[in-house]
Amino acid sequence: MTGPLLQVDGLSVAAGSGANRRGVVQNVDLRIERGEVVSLVGESGSGKSLTALAIMQLLPSGVRASSGRIVFDGVDLLELPRRAMNERRGRDIAMIFQDPLTALNPTIPIGRQIYDCIRTHADLGHRGTLTRVEELLALVGIAHPHERSRAYAHELSGGMRQRVMTALAIACGPKLLIADEPTTALDVTVQAQIMTMLDRIRYELGLAVLFISHNLDLVAEICDRTFVMYAGSVVESGPVETLFAAPRHPYTRQLLRCIPRLDWATGPMPTIPGLPPRFGDLPAGCAFAPRCDAADARCSSEKPPVWREPGRMAACWRAA
Amino acid sequence: MTKLAARCERLVASCGGPAGFFGACVIALLLAMALGAPLIAPQDPLQVSIVDQLQEPGEGHWLGTDQTGRDVLSRIVWGSRASLTVSALAVVIGLAGGVPIGLVAGFFRGGWLEQAIMRTLEAISAIPILIWAIALVGIVGVKDIQIGPLTVTNETKLLVMLGLLYVPTLARLTYTSALSESQANYVAARRLQGVGGVRIMFSDVLPNCLSPVIVQATLLLAIGIIIEAAISFVGLGVQPPTPSWGNMLASARDYLLSGEWWLSVFPGAAISITVVGFNLLGDGLRDRLDPRHIASEAGR
Amino acid sequence: MVSLALRRVAFSLFSLLVVSLVLFMLTRSIPDSPARIVLGDQATDQQIVQFDRDHGLDRPILVQYVAWLRHLVFGADLGSSFTTGRDMNRQIANTLPVTMEIVAIAFIAATLLSVTLGTLSALYRDSPIDYLARLIAVLGVSVPGFWLALVLILFFAVDRDWFPPGGIAPFSEDPASHLLSLVLPCLCLGSFYLAVLTRMTRSSLLEVLGLDYMRTARASGLHPVRVLAYALRNALVPVVTIGGVSFGHMFGWALIIEQIFNIDGMSRALLTAIQQRDYSMVQAVVMMFTLVFVGANLIADLVNGWLNPRLAAAA
Repeated sequence: MTGPLLQVDGLSVAAGSGANRRGVVQNVDLRIERGEVVSLVGESGSGKSLTALAIMQLLPSGVRASSGRIVFDGVDLLELPRRAMNERRGRDIAMIFQDPLTALNPTIPIGRQIYDCIRTHADLGHRGTLTRVEELLALVGIAHPHERSRAYAHELSGGMRQRVMTALAIACGPKLLIADEPTTALDVTVQAQIMTMLDRIRYELGLAVLFISHNLDLVAEICDRTFVMYAGSVVESGPVETLFAAPRHPYTRQLLRCIPRLDWATGPMPTIPGLPPRFGDLPAGCAFAPRCDAADARCSSEKPPVWREPGRMAACWRAA
Repeated sequence: MTKLAARCERLVASCGGPAGFFGACVIALLLAMALGAPLIAPQDPLQVSIVDQLQEPGEGHWLGTDQTGRDVLSRIVWGSRASLTVSALAVVIGLAGGVPIGLVAGFFRGGWLEQAIMRTLEAISAIPILIWAIALVGIVGVKDIQIGPLTVTNETKLLVMLGLLYVPTLARLTYTSALSESQANYVAARRLQGVGGVRIMFSDVLPNCLSPVIVQATLLLAIGIIIEAAISFVGLGVQPPTPSWGNMLASARDYLLSGEWWLSVFPGAAISITVVGFNLLGDGLRDRLDPRHIASEAGR
Repeated sequence: MVSLALRRVAFSLFSLLVVSLVLFMLTRSIPDSPARIVLGDQATDQQIVQFDRDHGLDRPILVQYVAWLRHLVFGADLGSSFTTGRDMNRQIANTLPVTMEIVAIAFIAATLLSVTLGTLSALYRDSPIDYLARLIAVLGVSVPGFWLALVLILFFAVDRDWFPPGGIAPFSEDPASHLLSLVLPCLCLGSFYLAVLTRMTRSSLLEVLGLDYMRTARASGLHPVRVLAYALRNALVPVVTIGGVSFGHMFGWALIIEQIFNIDGMSRALLTAIQQRDYSMVQAVVMMFTLVFVGANLIADLVNGWLNPRLAAAA
């Protein structure tokens, strides 16, 4: 199969209806190749989670993809009937969520949840499925998988729950794993463990990963390419090293500047002044202009063009 | 928007929406009917008239007459007094007994005493109220009791017993709220200010416990109407000839199979409409005061 | 789970103990002593003292209570009524099954119907079935069962001959007639509960369907039916609680329904006892009612502990 695994073209998502309709994601382009690790980075409210949910076709009620294409493995997901999409979920594309405690059913043992997922997409027989469940739990680094598979979500620690969720997601061998801020709800030490585990899984299974985070630093470790989102649009994208070394968009540049470094002299920490715009309340011109340190009059009044190079883009007048 | 329209909107909102407001209106009407019975009822509810027996609804008697010629409409209007009095005063007694107990127990954690009281109340609240009400009234007897100069009617006995039966539920509800409120930071802050415990309990903790209590009280008002009707129906409540919707239904039973439908339908309709009113208001208040919808639904 | 079960059972027993004590105290503290009731107003003091001594009524109240309790717990024996002298066990054994049958049928039918309606209502919001369910909910809660009974009798039994207006034909004689005569009483008894439960199922399911773990279930690609099963497993917890409470309540309201439909159940036993001032019988019947009530609550708690292990852990 040639072509990228996932190609998102001009995706826009809107919430509400009638007079309350607001665009929450505008015209987003994404590309993920097979086996690639791509990150989607942005502040809260930048629309990154909604983009991911749109790909999975799991948008909450009242929120709908209003235009664009989401082509996965050659098929436009937005055109698929519900049953066909349901077949792909879990089997071809999977997702892990931010808060593993609320994301796992509290009344069903975790082993059973994984069992049901496998049974839905594959027929390994009862014993075969049970064995597979334990293999998966061991794969994500859970000790004593046989006993643990009978546990309930609330009986496990945060890190273990996230491992369980990962096991649930990779159970049927998907090609793409979407990880929506998987470590945000965890302690820092556990974060590192989970990141290591995800990287190992990815490598062993040859998964492509779409990693969503608000933490640029975290994703730099394991990602190949990064997409930076602001106020519902992608403002810059490119290979991680180049992005870090020479960012072309002021937002990316200012974000990088905010990452604390050990060799800083003491003094006030840099921030990006102001707040991101609320959904649907976008200013004319560039959405970032009010907070940008390099903005001029043109930025505030006209939408910036998209500067492109092979493998890179930036939506800024000053990108070139 | 005009001032009147704005005020109307606030009024509707304070009842928790249009349904709640409708319920409030129904209850207001009921209250007016009960208070203004002497003025509203077209005829004397106790006026017997042999010639007018069992008349169908029509001229002169809009809802018909009963087996002794009394006007059904007037009896329904006057009957609202019995239903409302029993229901409302029972809830008042329940609140007067239950809220202080729950408040004090939840605020001044009394160690084993608090646990004992609360456990006992929890144990007692596991009783079917209707059965106990019937049994208690049955045991005490339906005749009026003389205590010195006071005559205690059956109605009074009923509402006192019902009120006492409500105490455990209301006490536990207040207790749960008081318990969690007492541990809130603002209470600790007040204590640090040097404010006395009792004062904090009344001025800070109590108002925050009232929301679920108010909702439950409204529902208990609805239940009280039904219980009073049921008890009067089996002859243990309001005694004839005093009209009550329940005892009107009791005497209507004998005429059920012979076709005098108005004797059963109208009193029952009165009960239903009243209960709908209280339920709608209770739901509206719950939406407004307690968005988490604690499951106190089956409080019958 | 086991510790939860033990704790709940212990608490239920404690509950019954407290209640029985209160009940006992009440019935023994009324001014009309059984002696006076049986022997009449003309009885001499001598006769009354003799009566009391014969029936053990001259002992201290607590001693009487313990004796009564011992009979009840170890012998399953409610004793004989002081007033009528009849064996209360037999009386209750005759009437309890009748009431139990009506309540059980009403309960089961209402539960099945309301969970179905509530689920459909939650899944297909704002559809005709949703409106129907919500209408039933409002009406069932507001129209008192006994008025519904009168109206239905008027409508079905008087104007039409579809259902008998009262009484229950014994099953052994005529099964069809027996079942027919159960329809109206069970309908009236279950209407309130049907309404409450439909509403509860609906709101509980709606709430659960919006939770994060349902999103995970869908993300796993689970079949929609299994997704629903996952949701119901959680949504049914408050429903079970209310079920337990309602069973007990229904047992109480059966009293009124039996009176209307002329059914010879526990209500007749209770009201007759009240009429005859047979207070030991009143006490026995109320104790039975309370037993059923506490028992139903206990079962509901245990079922919930099984359904939702987090409750069991927190208990």
